[in-house]
Amino acid sequence: MTARHLLVAFAAMLLTASFAASALAQQTSRIYDPSSNQWIVYDPAKVDRDATARGVTPERFKRKLVPFRTSEPPGTIIIDTDRKFLFYVLPNFQAIRYGVGVGKEGFGWSGEVYVGRKAEWPSWTPTPDMIERDPSLTEYVTGMPGGIENPLGARALYLYQSGRDSLYRIHGTNEPWSIGLNVSSGCIRMNNADVEDLFSRAPVGTKVIVLKQGAALFQPS
Amino acid sequence: MRMRTLRRVAFAAVAIVASVSAPVPGRAADIVIGVANWPSAIATAHLLKALVETKLGKTATLEEASLPELFAAADAGTVDILPEVWLPNYRAQVRSYVDKEHSVVLAPRGIPARQGLCTTKVAAEEYDLHSVEDLTKPETAGLLDTDQDGRGEIWIGADGWNSTNVERIRAKSYGYDKTMTLISADEPVAMAGLDVAVALGEPIVFYCYEPHHMFALHDLVMLEEPPHDPTKWVIRTPEDTPDWLEQSTAATAWPVSFIHTAYRSGFDDDAPEVVALLSNLDLEADAISDMTYALIVERRDPDAYAAEWIEANPDRVARWLAE
Repeated sequence: MTARHLLVAFAAMLLTASFAASALAQQTSRIYDPSSNQWIVYDPAKVDRDATARGVTPERFKRKLVPFRTSEPPGTIIIDTDRKFLFYVLPNFQAIRYGVGVGKEGFGWSGEVYVGRKAEWPSWTPTPDMIERDPSLTEYVTGMPGGIENPLGARALYLYQSGRDSLYRIHGTNEPWSIGLNVSSGCIRMNNADVEDLFSRAPVGTKVIVLKQGAALFQPS
Repeated sequence: MRMRTLRRVAFAAVAIVASVSAPVPGRAADIVIGVANWPSAIATAHLLKALVETKLGKTATLEEASLPELFAAADAGTVDILPEVWLPNYRAQVRSYVDKEHSVVLAPRGIPARQGLCTTKVAAEEYDLHSVEDLTKPETAGLLDTDQDGRGEIWIGADGWNSTNVERIRAKSYGYDKTMTLISADEPVAMAGLDVAVALGEPIVFYCYEPHHMFALHDLVMLEEPPHDPTKWVIRTPEDTPDWLEQSTAATAWPVSFIHTAYRSGFDDDAPEVVALLSNLDLEADAISDMTYALIVERRDPDAYAAEWIEANPDRVARWLAE
């Protein structure tokens, strides 16, 4: 759904995303399609149709077991919001690497949080900011029930710091093609199969380290 | 150098301190050992505790705090031993408590240590990234640019470490403060960033110091720079002047650094055999790195590990205990 309102133009290798008002999108927007290795003109309706039809995540962002040397204990989640990967640390210097999408305004901080709560097919309530940007969300002001249309997708892990909800979530998406991009509002987005996998592994209390190399340490407000 | 609580290390320290068996009820421990908040300080504190308990028949407790806080506690007489005082990093505290107040004694023997900027061996070879001078080049800025703002990112240490300010001075003096964004953040976050860069094969440059387990965990190389020149090394601190950065210059490598043990004045009268141990202690950087690796990376029980280490190194221990 955010796709309708955004212009997405990005270079395949750098996965740089830039954004402008959707009014400008009609003529200038192009999107790189990793499965066909072609630039295609961005047409939100067509992207929605293709995404639904293909239902795939770009190849390099697919879930993968990788070597991962770290001093963090098994069970830790490390998210690189610049390079769009999430690592779930396993024993013996291995990790499961997942591709993620990051909120379109990015993750403006780095630091340590933890999974404070988890939900299956979570309900979703847009923030006042989101409603201001997109008045059509007004109908969900009291919350949108969980389900296939819900932007949080199949599962959500709510990130807390010092006992309080940070308002950031790791959640699913019904738009798996968007993994690797800076779209959606604020959160860390994974395709539904991946977030279900992570959800089954990571209990409440799991340590989450969010990396944004260019950002100073997160200071809770 | 590392003045503020590192969250993960602090967690580790809390867990470690909690695991320490309580002293005999009704009797305070003989000795209080300060545990500063970085990996090697945690390792050496546990080794000292095990040594005085198993070899000298005393009891010891561990007191966790930042090193400046531990200096103040030793000055007040509530902490007996500071296992790791890094020089030149904590020169200001040494000047005040050791040279001026005479409330803390610095053991003469220093374990050589080093600090500077590191990259991965893979990045050094693949991108021809070998010296600090390379950091001023636009192509290096592009190489280390993780957030596409045209500048590279370098972690220079945690907020509050004395070394972080020195790294700012070095960046200004060499000129890579123009090409790089200098990031200060908690060490565990920076180390996780290193882990990810290695896993993805991405280049990275960051502040590093040894002894530290990062050198055992990853294949790292220190960037080359001109040898330390005291005439080009003028360090003012924020406590000296608000213009500390402008008034400082440091366009050379760090001097060879040393880790000293220290203890409160009067402790030599109360426990001369422990002070003899502190004076004789000649751990090599490698041995300390191995210990931090065991405690932080392998998450070994610190008391069990220290006891095992003592058993495995009888000759060294005997030498340290000789009067």
